[in-house]
Amino acid sequence: MEKASSRLKILALLVAVMFAALGTRLWFLQVLASERFRTEADNNQTRVAESDALRGSIKTADGKTLVNNVPSLEVRVDKQTLEASGEADRVLLDLSDLLQIPVKDLRDSINDPRYYDYQPKPVAEFVKKNVALYLSERRDQFPGVEVVPASVRDYPQGREAAHILGYLGLIQKEQLADPQYRDYGQSDLVGRTGLELQYEKYLRGTKGQQKFIVNADGETIRALGEVPPRPGDDLHLAIDSGVQQAVEEELFRGLESARSQVDDAGGNGLLLKAPAGAAVVMDVKTGGVVAMASWPNYDPRWFVKGLTPGQSRYLFKSSQSPSVNRAIGLTYKPGSIFKPLVALAAVKEGVASLGTYYPCPAEWVAPGDTSGAVFTNWSATDLAPMTIAESLRTSCDTVYYQFGYDFWARWRPDSFGTNNEPFQRDLRQWGFGTPAEVDLPGSEAGVIPDAKFAADHPDTYPDGWVPGGDVLLAIGSGDTLVTPMQMASAYSALANGGHLCRPHVVDKIVDADKNVVKTVGGRCDAQLPYSQPELNSITSALETVTTSGTAASAFSGFPLSSYPVAGKTGTAERPPFQSTSWFASFAPANDPRYAVVVMVEQGGYGSQTAAPIARHIYEHLFGLGVSGNVYGGAQD
Amino acid sequence: MDLVAGRITSEERRPIRHVDLILLLVTAAIVVAGFFLLFSATKTTLIGLNEGEFARVQKQMVTAAIGLVLMLVVASFDYRFLKVYAGFIYAGMIVALILVRIPGIGSTPLGDATAAQRWFAFGGFQVTPSEFVKVGLIVMLAAVLSELRGPIPTLNDVLRVCGIAAIPMGLVFLQPDIGTTIVLVAILGGMLVVAGTRPRQLAALAVGAVVALALAFQLGVIKDYQLARLTGFLDPTADTRTTNYNRNQAEIAVGSGGVLGRGYGSGTQTNLDFVPEQHTDFIFTVAGEEFGFVGSAIFLSLYAILLWRAIRIAYLSKDPFGTYLATGVASMFAIQMFVNVGMVIGIMPITGIPLPFVSYGGSQMLANFIAIGILMNVHMRRFK
Repeated sequence: MEKASSRLKILALLVAVMFAALGTRLWFLQVLASERFRTEADNNQTRVAESDALRGSIKTADGKTLVNNVPSLEVRVDKQTLEASGEADRVLLDLSDLLQIPVKDLRDSINDPRYYDYQPKPVAEFVKKNVALYLSERRDQFPGVEVVPASVRDYPQGREAAHILGYLGLIQKEQLADPQYRDYGQSDLVGRTGLELQYEKYLRGTKGQQKFIVNADGETIRALGEVPPRPGDDLHLAIDSGVQQAVEEELFRGLESARSQVDDAGGNGLLLKAPAGAAVVMDVKTGGVVAMASWPNYDPRWFVKGLTPGQSRYLFKSSQSPSVNRAIGLTYKPGSIFKPLVALAAVKEGVASLGTYYPCPAEWVAPGDTSGAVFTNWSATDLAPMTIAESLRTSCDTVYYQFGYDFWARWRPDSFGTNNEPFQRDLRQWGFGTPAEVDLPGSEAGVIPDAKFAADHPDTYPDGWVPGGDVLLAIGSGDTLVTPMQMASAYSALANGGHLCRPHVVDKIVDADKNVVKTVGGRCDAQLPYSQPELNSITSALETVTTSGTAASAFSGFPLSSYPVAGKTGTAERPPFQSTSWFASFAPANDPRYAVVVMVEQGGYGSQTAAPIARHIYEHLFGLGVSGNVYGGAQD
Repeated sequence: MDLVAGRITSEERRPIRHVDLILLLVTAAIVVAGFFLLFSATKTTLIGLNEGEFARVQKQMVTAAIGLVLMLVVASFDYRFLKVYAGFIYAGMIVALILVRIPGIGSTPLGDATAAQRWFAFGGFQVTPSEFVKVGLIVMLAAVLSELRGPIPTLNDVLRVCGIAAIPMGLVFLQPDIGTTIVLVAILGGMLVVAGTRPRQLAALAVGAVVALALAFQLGVIKDYQLARLTGFLDPTADTRTTNYNRNQAEIAVGSGGVLGRGYGSGTQTNLDFVPEQHTDFIFTVAGEEFGFVGSAIFLSLYAILLWRAIRIAYLSKDPFGTYLATGVASMFAIQMFVNVGMVIGIMPITGIPLPFVSYGGSQMLANFIAIGILMNVHMRRFK
């Protein structure tokens, strides 16, 4: 066996190589790369379960709570425990009986892919106390079923301010991909509209975290440290609940009564439709939104329990779009409520002056225009020449057509200059054409039409920016579009000496420890280029609108001597629909506090529908007795 | 004097006086270490299953005790009788390998047709014939090789030996138990090397083996899942949830052990069931995670000692039959230890080879004790 012994050495050598290979690899894994593997092992075994923070509440300036949280007894099912019990079918059947939920729905909830397997999944909320007690007492009969106190949104004032508050919804897939929603989970609720969306990051709070050690199947082995959730911040609003309620009520009442009136502006004898409207009350000194109403509205509580198909259709599919906040989210032709601003622009740019008398014929034709285009006044007869003040009181259109034409005549020779559109620029300075900077999502910009707009819309402007564009803009018509909120801002500036405020719904944000985190309001730093005498003269003219002008009948019997109201009616034609009824105003005219803007879709004349609503709102604001239905008369 | 001297000599040559104590002790050490690793690997699972945490260790201990008895029985009679019965042993194992494939006689885990292992069920016990085939083949090949005429095997001899080995190899391969096939090939290779086969012939055999393997793949004898496991180790990041999940979790376990380990019973990979098949093929992860590099090295050195003793016994044997027996046993332990540990730490493909004496499983324990018995036998009778 001499030979064999040398060959055994080969075998021994092979074995030695094997050990060398294993040893080298072990050295690499356990000594050189150990740290990386240790991290991987640690990541393997821990899971984090998050607990929701209590969302911040929303309170009004007068201390009413608009949004809060209520505890809801929630039944959750831990899928793993349930399935491990081997009685899943029996338990689900019993649970279905108890909760009055079909077994199929229970199964869907339990298999909801938005939750991790190790998380118990909610199958029912707002469970009755006795049912919860029954379940808690028979835990062994319901393996994996637990009753936990959760919290959901509650609206103590019902529908009040629903459009302002907005609502919550399950986070969308696209949002999850957005870095802004980095720390959100798939099952999280987020603000979808209104303040809930605007102030999401304050209201939300910080989630609590509970770490668990889990095994390879994700089953919990034991709990580690816990970070408790931190509640969200509370919003304190500029909104006054008393005023808000009144405004909502008056808007609703005004629409109701309008529907029993004949559409005089349309002149065809039909009743007004008045299906929708909006009203804004603003503090002229701060830009604080005291009230903001939009009709039709909805009940935010629908969203808490999940929309029924009918509710969903009503909110999002019906022609009146009740989900939209009309004060900011839809644009309308302003009509004559634009005239005070147009007059100021005309005076500033030297197109007109406050002391001059202007003719107010029944019809107006652009100088040298042979196309046959005739612009009419509301009056079929020529009125005596009048000042700007008088033109505002009676709302003479033909005076303004001429202003508009004069602006156009200035623009034409200088159409490529840098300062070529003073009319549009001056109007835009009031905030038109850009979304109101209110702290709510969904503000529309509106339109102040100009040469560029004409170029972009060749169908309506085949010849470019023709005189008619400026002529119609001068009476707030044509393609001019504004939101009620923009009008409220503008009239506030008119009232407060030309300071354009940044409108705000929220006054301040207060955290759970009652510290003020942020103050939102109080910014009225944009100064408009009008002198106090100019503004004063416009204000006095607008005062005559309610005393003896177009809104006189709407304000008949209103104590105007104590509470003078400066306002302007507006009737914006919108064929084939009935006219949009407007009233934009502020009061008291001698020491302005509030701006009130009312807009009613298909409400006929401004004096007919919008002005009476505004009158009732002032009655509430100044603590006067609220008069009965007022017939505002048929005037622009 | 002669008589006296002769008596003394014969007294000195009594087999019982030449027990390889080191081999016995190192085997015992491996077996006992195995109990500890097995306990750690199965504790949480068993608690989860509401069984006693010692259930599997106890069963393993019972098997080891039976194995110890078998070892003593095998060591007690002169190993040369094995040569006489080698033919019967060989025929018996062929029959067993055929019978185990017949449904109703042989079983697979949970009726899973893709399972590699097939066994006979006797009451509560499962006997896996392929484990015993390893030892049977060693005996058969040792008998054939020791009867060769020339100093080195001729081509005819080599072909004959290969032919003898090919039958059980083929049957095992068709089970399809690739792990055991690899062990059988290694046994054949180790014994041919020690028999003095010419390098050229060995190389030709290696080429032939590769060609046969390639043919097996082409003809679809090897199933896709086996191919995936075999090739998975080439690209461990390919698919972490399926094929390479075991490998990645095993590497994380071993790597996270670091130099000194996480402490007995404190391995998170082990305790939280992250490593699948941990009590069988992946048992080495427990040593790696809980005892670290130092513990793993000590543990592996036990196998090194065992292999040193086996090769030493081959060297000391007084006849070629003993040398071949010990060579076969050494080859068998070496390849199993290397492929199993290598698979756990990512340098060998996943083939389902148990770690000798440590992996949970009765048949491998019994077969390995029989192999140790053979080693003991050869060592005890080296002067007789």
